[in-house]
Amino acid sequence: MSFEPKIVGFLCNWCSYTGADLAGTSRIPYPANVRIIRVMCSARIDPTFVVQALAQGADAVLICGCHPGDCHYSEGNYKAMRRFPLLKQLLKAYGVEDDRVRQTWVSASEGQRFAEIVTDLTERVRALGPSRIHPELLNDQRER
Amino acid sequence: MAIRVNPKLIDDLERYGAEDVQKCYHCGNCSAVCTHVEPGFVFPRKPMRLLQMGLEQRLESSLEPWLCYYCGQCSSQCPRGAEPGETMMSLRRWLTSRYDFTGISRLFYGSWKAEVAAIALVGLLTAFGFLLYGFSHGNLRIYDGPGAFLPSPVVHRFDWTMAAVLVVLLAINAGRMWWFTTGGNPRIRAPFSAYLLQLYMLPVQFFTQKRYAECQSKRPWFLHLWLMLSYLTMLVLIMFFLRVVQAGPQIRWSAHVFGYLASVGLLGAVGYAIYGRSKKTEIHLRHSHESDWIFLLMLLGVTLTGVLQHILHRSGAAMAANVAYVVHLGLVVPMLSLEVPFSKWAHLAYRPLGMYLAQVHRAATARAASVVPSPETVRIAS
Amino acid sequence: MEELKIGFYVCNCGTNIAHTVDVEGVKEVAAQWPEVAIARSYRYMCSNPGQEMIVNDIRELGLNRVVVAACSPRMHELTFRNACRLGGLNPYLFEMANIREQCSWVHTDKLVATEKAKALARGAVNRVRHHEPLDPLSAEMCPETLVLGGGIAGLTAALELALAGHPVHLVEKSDRLGGNIARVDLTAPYFYSARDLLADRLTRLRATPNVSVHLHTQLKNLSGFIGNYTATLETGNGDSAPRQKTIHIGNVIVATGYKEFDASRITHYGYGKLPNVITSFEFEQMLRSGRIQTQSGRPPRYVAIIHCVGSRNREFHSYCSRVCCMTALKYARELKSALPECYVSDIYIDMHAFGKGCEDFYRKSSEVKTLFLMYGKNEQPVIRKADAKDDCEMLIEVDEKLSGERIEIPADMVILMVGMEPRPDAGEVAHLVNISHDKDGWFIESHPKLDPVATTTEGIYIAGTCAAPKDIPDTVAQARAAAARILARIAKGKIEIDGVFAEVDPERCSGCRMCNELCPYSAIEFDAQAKRSHVIPAVCKACGCCVAACPSGAIKGRHFTDQQIYAQIEGVLA
Repeated sequence: MSFEPKIVGFLCNWCSYTGADLAGTSRIPYPANVRIIRVMCSARIDPTFVVQALAQGADAVLICGCHPGDCHYSEGNYKAMRRFPLLKQLLKAYGVEDDRVRQTWVSASEGQRFAEIVTDLTERVRALGPSRIHPELLNDQRER
Repeated sequence: MAIRVNPKLIDDLERYGAEDVQKCYHCGNCSAVCTHVEPGFVFPRKPMRLLQMGLEQRLESSLEPWLCYYCGQCSSQCPRGAEPGETMMSLRRWLTSRYDFTGISRLFYGSWKAEVAAIALVGLLTAFGFLLYGFSHGNLRIYDGPGAFLPSPVVHRFDWTMAAVLVVLLAINAGRMWWFTTGGNPRIRAPFSAYLLQLYMLPVQFFTQKRYAECQSKRPWFLHLWLMLSYLTMLVLIMFFLRVVQAGPQIRWSAHVFGYLASVGLLGAVGYAIYGRSKKTEIHLRHSHESDWIFLLMLLGVTLTGVLQHILHRSGAAMAANVAYVVHLGLVVPMLSLEVPFSKWAHLAYRPLGMYLAQVHRAATARAASVVPSPETVRIAS
Repeated sequence: MEELKIGFYVCNCGTNIAHTVDVEGVKEVAAQWPEVAIARSYRYMCSNPGQEMIVNDIRELGLNRVVVAACSPRMHELTFRNACRLGGLNPYLFEMANIREQCSWVHTDKLVATEKAKALARGAVNRVRHHEPLDPLSAEMCPETLVLGGGIAGLTAALELALAGHPVHLVEKSDRLGGNIARVDLTAPYFYSARDLLADRLTRLRATPNVSVHLHTQLKNLSGFIGNYTATLETGNGDSAPRQKTIHIGNVIVATGYKEFDASRITHYGYGKLPNVITSFEFEQMLRSGRIQTQSGRPPRYVAIIHCVGSRNREFHSYCSRVCCMTALKYARELKSALPECYVSDIYIDMHAFGKGCEDFYRKSSEVKTLFLMYGKNEQPVIRKADAKDDCEMLIEVDEKLSGERIEIPADMVILMVGMEPRPDAGEVAHLVNISHDKDGWFIESHPKLDPVATTTEGIYIAGTCAAPKDIPDTVAQARAAAARILARIAKGKIEIDGVFAEVDPERCSGCRMCNELCPYSAIEFDAQAKRSHVIPAVCKACGCCVAACPSGAIKGRHFTDQQIYAQIEGVLA
């Protein structure tokens, strides 16, 4: 029985969520490990969402937005682009491997690409094994 | 090396029957539906393009018009009504006039009145000549035997002389055709062996026209073959058995039956063609150039007068038969001497020659492709 | 806290979901979750009986939350929200779980897919507990409209609004109305006179009192939101100092038009160097003056028209400028009728003859013996001066694709069909009115198929060639469409602002002002007196970037609150 990672994906409504839907209408298969949560823009994704997901037992988090220049709200994805490298630095200190939090861009026409990204992420995280940090983070989270 | 476009050519070709070439927008439906298209010989689209652009040199050296039998499928497929079939026909007329070194062909195609005048002139001269001979050497009331107005040996000698002149004229023009398309064409380097090996095509195509049978419907091929074989039968009878068929007034069935069959064939085919052209019953009969009508009417006249003089002869009306014979000769001579080398009938030589040369071209292309390709040969191979 | 009664519905979608996900299993598991009052499965939830099921359950069971596990919310969220509304429940007390596009259609293992469907459903149920009822807001609608640009689009839109009885401010940068259509002689494919079209517009414009025309005027500033805009106009013709004027309007129509491509950028056409190489607009001038002649004053014997100058070209613009093909054919016809002895060559890549009457127009230009020569996109023709012995001024050399030959075309005059480009001030205009433009510079519409004249900024409309190259019929259609949209809004009297927007909690706001700059719509104002920021609901697009950025956590993103999302995270991972 190989380890089945649990991945939470935050997808922006206009591009990446639509792209994931396109993978569906095109019947492009990908591993079932990802659970998608819809936000209107990748700029809405608070770093605490990522932390909360990891705390609740996610082995990886996927953040998808529109390609730079194509954001439905003009610059939201640039803001997201700035936030997450900082978060990943912080998470590194907690022992969260770089591969566990991925930020990428998927356009509404990139169904195939979305499937490829999910497949690749799933395999990488499977190789890494289960996330080991959640009890510690969970304690920190309770205060909020 | 860029070729200059000549937008005036398309105006010139109107005289040859190409009225709608400019409508072609090169969708390629015509070439798609043509059964005779093959690599290296794509038509009618390519000749239409060369014509639109006025690339005279390329047109003159092309064989494609002779590979077409005008089944008319292309014209019925054309979404724009550009009449590719009729354009190919016009190109055949144009090429006929280009191959002809005398310039008479160009004159005739340019003006049907000139053609009719020439026919009348030659006809009257012939009739006059024969009348002169007849009155000086014979008796108008006598058809057969001593004192015959037009004895068959004399007519026979005349026929052969005329045939020799025609053959020479046609051979010169056919030679020019070879030069334009193959010999003088820098893009084709044909090995001598190809000429020899493909030689069988000439008689095969001439006698059977089997490529015509490959067109969508077999009926035009059949009718044309019937017409041609009837005519050939008649020609053989006249050239080689004149004395036999002219001997009378009894009917010699073993010889005359061929003549009767041939006459029926000729009249039937010509009648069908005249009817078809008047009523525009089939695609290839919808457009009629003056040269088409002149050809049919001449052939009809010749056949009818020939039949008439035969009937009159066999029923004993010698004087009437002689008069009919003179009229008949007055029609036959212009028909053969003008139509064969200078007008529509020239296709009897050019078409089989075209198909033969196409085979030679193919052999030349195949050989060029097997050699290390230079840019020019690569172009030919595509 | 009210007692929650959640209605859970899972759809079979025929076999689309049911063939991979054990729909009954999901239903049974959901029925066990706390506060789920009813769990049902149905073949097609989006069908009328499916929706009625929801409506009836809300009424009979007193449901106050509804979850549907089915296709993508992008498909049917509106359908089910409407069903809730019909049942008497606020439509925002609804959530969907996507178990089709993002589950049954992409996974093959039934067990795994079912487990995922359950997790997604759980996430939705968790989330919906924290949903709040949301109602739209209402604001006044000012009936005055600002139209930017006095070309055919602007004139048409202004007329449409004025004749309906509403005041319009027509702002034109240059010294006259008419735009690019004033430079055209006859139009394709019916040869209507452009001058007549324009004259018609101008006459009717002068006859109506509702239009204030501002020439030599530009928009300097625009603030506010739909129904309540304030615009600052600046008028200056260079002679005197510029004057400013402030107006109040409800909506703006941007109809700023296009400019033509500068042909001198393509050096091998010799524009600017060879005297008889001219652009399409220069030829229009010749047509209007009634004299077609070369620089030496003689009528040309050979004319060549080259398509796609600056268009369909990776080096300059990859798009097609749409009107040039038919305009070129128009020139061919006009040349042949004015100079019957002239030989016209039309050198094109593809013939775009798409609209009404255009295919016939193309055929007719073939019939008048226009010679059509096709070249390849990447192998442009080269124009050079002819030798003295040639019977023409210039020779054009090109690889002609339909014959496969490299040819030389004689030409005494060459007409370059220059493409359309966005005006150089398009970026500035977009920024002023808060709309976006694409990589080519054309303004972006709200939806390329379903909403061609609106933009993502409410109250700002685009019409005509400023949005993309198009012909006069489409320009006029768009102008009238934009005017009609505005008239519909004005008729309603008030505007309804969607209930989903960000809200600043004044108690928590520290006045750091980070959010003011972050908002791409400038929807957050800072109240200098109270030293707090405040979101203008009508302008807010609910992207949420301020919500995530606020260091005090003072901004709540309605319908996408932190609480809702945390609950959903917990649910999908359970």
